[in-house]
Amino acid sequence: MMSSAQIEIQLIASLAAIACAIPGTFLVLRKMAMISDAISHSILPGIVIGFFITHDLNSPLLILLAAATGIITVILVEYIQKTGLVKEDTAIGLVFPALFSIGVILIAKNANDVHLDVDAVLLGELAFAPFDRFIISDIDLGPKSLWVIGSILIVTIGLLFAFFKELKVSTFDAGLAASLGFSPAIMHYGLMSIASVTTVGAFDAVGAILVVALMIAPAATAYLLTNNLKRMLLYAIGFGVFCAISGYWVAHWLDASIAGSITTMLGIIFLLVYLFAPNKGIIAVLYREKQQRTEVSLLTFLLHLKNHNEEEERHVNHLNEHINWQKVRSKTVLELALKNNMIVVDNNIVSLTEKGNDFTSQAIDYIITNEDAEIEHMKDDFFLFRG
Amino acid sequence: MAQKIAVKVDDLTVAYNYKPVLWDIDLEIPEGVLMAIVGPNGAGKSTLIKSILGILKPIAGSVSIYDKPYEKQRQLVAYVPQKGSVDWDFPTTALDVVMMGTYGSLGWIKRPKQKEKKQALEALEKVGMLPFKNRQISQLSGGQQQRIFLARALVQNASIYFMDEPFQGVDATTEIAIINILKELRKAGKTVIVVHHDLQTVPEYFDWVTFLNVKKIATGPVKDIFNDDNLTKTYGINYKVSIQE
Ligand SMILES: Nc1ncnc2c1ncn2[C@@H]1O[C@H](COP(=O)(O)OP(=O)(O)O)[C@@H](O)[C@H]1O
Ligand SMILES: [Mg+2]
Repeated sequence: MMSSAQIEIQLIASLAAIACAIPGTFLVLRKMAMISDAISHSILPGIVIGFFITHDLNSPLLILLAAATGIITVILVEYIQKTGLVKEDTAIGLVFPALFSIGVILIAKNANDVHLDVDAVLLGELAFAPFDRFIISDIDLGPKSLWVIGSILIVTIGLLFAFFKELKVSTFDAGLAASLGFSPAIMHYGLMSIASVTTVGAFDAVGAILVVALMIAPAATAYLLTNNLKRMLLYAIGFGVFCAISGYWVAHWLDASIAGSITTMLGIIFLLVYLFAPNKGIIAVLYREKQQRTEVSLLTFLLHLKNHNEEEERHVNHLNEHINWQKVRSKTVLELALKNNMIVVDNNIVSLTEKGNDFTSQAIDYIITNEDAEIEHMKDDFFLFRG
Repeated sequence: MAQKIAVKVDDLTVAYNYKPVLWDIDLEIPEGVLMAIVGPNGAGKSTLIKSILGILKPIAGSVSIYDKPYEKQRQLVAYVPQKGSVDWDFPTTALDVVMMGTYGSLGWIKRPKQKEKKQALEALEKVGMLPFKNRQISQLSGGQQQRIFLARALVQNASIYFMDEPFQGVDATTEIAIINILKELRKAGKTVIVVHHDLQTVPEYFDWVTFLNVKKIATGPVKDIFNDDNLTKTYGINYKVSIQE
């Protein structure tokens, strides 16, 4: 039996994963992964100042104040970038350590009044989240973080449903979006605000580092697996929740930090997908490149046959010399051509079949003129003509 | 001339980081022309289009579309950005990209429905891309991507079309297919403005031309002003194009 604290921790982690995956997907597509890191660190002064005022890490005012610091980060980064003196990542590198150190100094100067330490902010402690309860007139409504993250998640989902098409078009083609009247600036700052609010809302429970990991890793993993934006969002959410729950149990068995275990799970899943994803994974890409090399060889070989009627040029044993290939390569190519009925071997003399002859002419035409439509049916058999 | 003015640009100056890239441009584009904007790389051709479409804020001057500010006339205008300005690895299909052309008439929040999908499919058919409707956009060739962009503009069903280098990186067949569609649009009374690079084909494709290099050099009918003098003024070197009659 799971204790209610265990269930609550997994619930908080899962909701945080969903709340992070949604803005994270768009951040990844906008190639803005770095900015979420910047936000997560530079909200520290906002949190400290908010804490001076509210003395409650879960107060909505603190969340808004800290989120405002996140937006200020984004604006500062853009302002520095606009001067044209430095690139975006440099600008991020300038802004966030500055704001972060202001936060650290504020904490150090007021160490006696503030029960807040940098480690807690960065790493969070999910294990303690169930202890901070939301109680109204003696009724226990559950952990406060669950309410905070739950509310943020509901707002995020609402905005996602309302503005899905606007987010999509402004992410894909900001120029078109602007010309259609969907201000990319509004979408941009809207997204940044959601990312900031989510970061602040989740940091107390899960820590700033896990927030960044939950925003970027599931979205980056999903990106490798699909060519459909809606599916990418769903996959990102799925990976996030899976890692949140499996990470919790890994931490449980190893008696390790929950946030650390979830981050590790996110890393492992990303690595696996990065290696094995069917189309965009490293192995698939390498395999495709190898196939393409073989097919270029095949074409060279077929062309050679087409151009030479002399039997000696077409003798199996002489192919190596004539086309100047290693044995293995000519064997692969020969087999590939045979398998596709493009050649016949008669008495060790290779000749093109009609199919092979047609294929060669079409392929050469294609390469010369690049008229794609006509070779549609060839694309399925041969990598060479894809992309 | 009794012809209506579709696009009017007055004293337009545009700068990036306080460095002006368009200086004091005055331009009138009559309704129903098929116009090329020519000029060297970095002349500000894309910047001019973006400023007309309100994507960039000018530091001085104004733009009107049929005598009203662009913001009031969005529905009349379609835009094809430079192909390189978007990420073709974005997770979406050809059909979905063409559907984006309907977003303007839908306005905020409303989602495209069957009607919009039908329009998008018709546009895909028109540019010969219907068989590719479900293909992920990175799996399309350069020419096919350009056709998708054209289809997206057609779906907007506008009066004025702005196209930034629609012939960039396309094969000869696609170039002919595209120019035929543009000529059809002109026949239907639309105004088409195209950033164009291949000077050889200007007289064959277009009836109107604007020479641009930071300043406006000249604008008018191709037959009157497409000459070595204006080309030299625009490109800086002694330019000779033999214009086939
Ligand atoms: N976002 C930008 N920031 C700064 N400078 C820019 C930007 N876009 C274009 N430029 C500069 O403005 C000038 C005009 O650019 P552009 O309008 O793209 O020229 P064209 O389309 O004629 O090749 C160029 O010098 C270019 O470097
Ligand atoms: Mg340009």
